[in-house]
Amino acid sequence: MPSGLRLLVIKEIKDLLRDPKILVGIIIFPALLLPLMGAAISVSTGSTIEKAYGNLSIYVVDEDNGSISQALLDYFGANNVEVNKISGPPESSLGVLSGGDVLLCIPAGFTSNITGGNWSGVVIYVNFKDFSMVEFIKSGRVDQIINSFRSELVRRLVSEEAPDRDPNALLNPIRQDYKSVIKGEAFRISPAVLQGTVQMQTLMGPIVIMLVLILAMQIAATSIAIEKEAKTLETLLTVPVSRMSILFGKLAGSVTVALLATVANVFAFTYYIGAVLGSAGAGAGDLGQAGLKLAPAPEGYLILGLSIFGALISALAIALTLGTLAQDVRGAQSIIGIVIVPVFLPAIFMMMGDISALPPAMQAVLYLIPFTYPALASQALITGNYGMSLIGLVYMACFTLAMLYIAAKIFSSERIMTARISFRARKAD
Amino acid sequence: MPQAIFIKDLVKEFSKRRAVDGISMEVNEGDVFGLIGPNGAGKTTTLRIIATIIKPTSGQVAVCGKDVVREAAEVRRLISYLPEEAGAYQNLTGLEYLRLMASFYYRSEEEVETAVAEGIRISALGDRLRDKSSTYSKGMKRRLQLARALMVKPRLAILDEPTSGLDVTHAFQLRKLIKEYAGMNRITVLLSSHNMLEVEKMCDRVAFINAGRVVEVGKPGELVSKYGGDTLEEAFMKVVGFA
Repeated sequence: MPSGLRLLVIKEIKDLLRDPKILVGIIIFPALLLPLMGAAISVSTGSTIEKAYGNLSIYVVDEDNGSISQALLDYFGANNVEVNKISGPPESSLGVLSGGDVLLCIPAGFTSNITGGNWSGVVIYVNFKDFSMVEFIKSGRVDQIINSFRSELVRRLVSEEAPDRDPNALLNPIRQDYKSVIKGEAFRISPAVLQGTVQMQTLMGPIVIMLVLILAMQIAATSIAIEKEAKTLETLLTVPVSRMSILFGKLAGSVTVALLATVANVFAFTYYIGAVLGSAGAGAGDLGQAGLKLAPAPEGYLILGLSIFGALISALAIALTLGTLAQDVRGAQSIIGIVIVPVFLPAIFMMMGDISALPPAMQAVLYLIPFTYPALASQALITGNYGMSLIGLVYMACFTLAMLYIAAKIFSSERIMTARISFRARKAD
Repeated sequence: MPQAIFIKDLVKEFSKRRAVDGISMEVNEGDVFGLIGPNGAGKTTTLRIIATIIKPTSGQVAVCGKDVVREAAEVRRLISYLPEEAGAYQNLTGLEYLRLMASFYYRSEEEVETAVAEGIRISALGDRLRDKSSTYSKGMKRRLQLARALMVKPRLAILDEPTSGLDVTHAFQLRKLIKEYAGMNRITVLLSSHNMLEVEKMCDRVAFINAGRVVEVGKPGELVSKYGGDTLEEAFMKVVGFA
């Protein structure tokens, strides 16, 4: 590396990493905030669930007093639910209920109706005060227990009616057995389970790429604006170092800091997701084997790496070019605030659906945005459809070269000093 | 006498505004040369062209025989430029800043350290050089910048309003320093200033600039005598037709 460029890269990294706004705002803050949020959600959810499942008690008005209603109440007891019997019309007892309390009303004739081959209903009153998660979980738990009791009751009744038949076969004569076909091979795994696994990967890829690009653009545009605001650029342009070294020094410095910030953010985000969702259990069926089949090929990583690198360099060239137009840091941030729209637009479309399902005009717009291709490449890791990613690599190489050419032109001309764009109203002369 | 600066028919236009309108002048090596003029006269634009930051619209500018457009890289090795509001990198210490800037001019570590030692001496900031430059006062920042500009012993030091914004004491010290250092190391100094007294005391020769044109060139004492005033300020006002 030429000595001027080396000096500038070291200067850039040192200056950027020592900037409290960048160090704290872009690296330390997200690295601490996301895990803290994850821990807070995890603790809060844990205590809520503990509270909801801990000491559940229900009130019951049993107007039936039959064998099945008693069996239902015993079933509640067996599931660690305290049963408090009360008498009188249910409406008159509603005042005693606290938030999340459940009042179960079993009507007269409940047992005789069921044993006589008819249906019978129960009424469940759920008292809401705070509309908190605890209140909803409590009512849901009562519902679960009743459903479970009903299943057992149905099996018992079917067994009594047809003692020589398997009640499960009678109740579920058709069983769906899914086989998901991946790259020509069938795996015993349902599409729903597969979707959960694949979606996590297809979502994370575009999000992380978007994060890196936006961070790098902000850092690059801000770094050139700081040079202008602090009046260091004018001096730098007169020292014996080439303008290209200044440009590439800024590119390298911004990439390094952006990558550091990304590593911090990805670790933090991974911890956050892990804390919120809990560790994923072993997948059903052949998920492990299917995962192996879905594992990306080395060429997939190569294409993704090249796509991200190309997108990063073109994003930085755009940011540095636009950064020269800003008069100060605030101006640079305003400009970048506008140009990050095409950066996150493809990622959003990728997360929400399939580009090929969009109208042709919309597809054309997305394919013209170079930042679409890293997101496509990240999806191609799983699908193995590298066609569009390879075309994208050629397009991005051309786009990146064009952006670098424009940036180099501006850096080697006086426009780096004289170009102006202002968001403020012009003062009257 | 060899020429440090040669300017002929220099014109610079920004959009439709002509900032420099046909300036021609020469500065001899070893001279301290002053550009005097009101705001908007074209002083900073002229200095920026000589410093290779911006390019002339037309005309010829050479530093020690090197053309500032065609041989800009060579010119940058000969000059050192101090902009009017120059700042240092806020997150580097004064010492790191001096070392960084010296490293652009010298290859060997020994040469860099010699220049830095000179910078430390010129700045006279002592232990404060180990602090980040964001903690410096305006006077300290200016001394650091002047040290940066002079420590590499350029053939030509271009100083735009070198004492701008400084109090009387600091301005006096800086003027003395520039004059002595330039004389000792045979550095040609081209400076611009609003302060006529400053220019009168420091400069061997001066040029009056008004509305993008050089309207008079000469030694301060000669100009004062020629226009029959007591000070350079009075001479300037007569030349531009305000007195």
